[in-house]
Amino acid sequence: MNRSSLFVGACFGFLITAAGLNSYDVIHDMLLLRELDVYLLMASAVMTAAPLLLLLRRLQWRTPQGETMVPRQAPARLNNLLGGATFGLGWAIAGTCPGPALAMVAGGSLLGIPVMAGLVTGVFLFDRVAARFRRTPSAPWSAPVRQTQLQSAGAETEL
Amino acid sequence: LDILPDRLAWYIAGPLIGLCVVALYALINERMGVTTSYRVVAQIVTRRPVQDLWRLWFFVGLAAGAFLASALRGGPRLNTDYGALGALVPLALLVPVLFLGGLISGFGARWGNGCTSGHGISGTSSLSPASFVATATFVATAVAITFLIHGLTGGDL
Repeated sequence: MNRSSLFVGACFGFLITAAGLNSYDVIHDMLLLRELDVYLLMASAVMTAAPLLLLLRRLQWRTPQGETMVPRQAPARLNNLLGGATFGLGWAIAGTCPGPALAMVAGGSLLGIPVMAGLVTGVFLFDRVAARFRRTPSAPWSAPVRQTQLQSAGAETEL
Repeated sequence: LDILPDRLAWYIAGPLIGLCVVALYALINERMGVTTSYRVVAQIVTRRPVQDLWRLWFFVGLAAGAFLASALRGGPRLNTDYGALGALVPLALLVPVLFLGGLISGFGARWGNGCTSGHGISGTSSLSPASFVATATFVATAVAITFLIHGLTGGDL
């Protein structure tokens, strides 16, 4: 399990740097709509993965550990909108996001370090704030994470 | 060693990243997202119990893969470059700005339950409604804020 995630992480990290996503200018030009390559990259990733995930789900694919694979689906909630907008603000300021920030540092960019420190702090702060709000019942802005299963006719699940 | 092109074309990198998403589901039945790895790091730093240790291995792997790609490009080379932003903003101001940018995106990514990888690539690949909403929102917001920054800096950024 850990070997698998190490391997997939290594492939992903290699591709992030190979595609130049660890560059401020590439992301900034993407967000200024000067260059559409990164949008095309994301779209082609999704168009590759989505049919394969549907196929594996249909085949009731099991992991090497025997777990039935279930691509996660969740209903859209207010926290996706509010959190998404907050994330977009930070993304625009730093011109990088969690994966590429680590790729920056791994490639020797020292200024990726304050971004990573900020990310760890922000993640920690959210968990603190969320723990506080969770004591307030039914607060819509702290919607619980609910993961439902990919709708697939008659498929059994073991989650 | 300098054998990797400056930028691998999107139509090669994109589908391969899609295969990473599929591989992580097929091997360990998990959504590929990076923000939750930062959460594990935060748990380690604050000495709280670590959930999902595989995310730490994913994080280590990501760093190793990025290091390898840099090595194939003649690096890694320690530097304080930060593209157009680094050229415009002095270092003493840039460090807190980048920390703040990271803090806001880390907070937002946990709040929205995903970032560019977790929602933008993996979540949309499993056709999750939450991911479509989050992705549309963060892309639209980031584009709007970037245009605002572009205007406020007189086109320098």
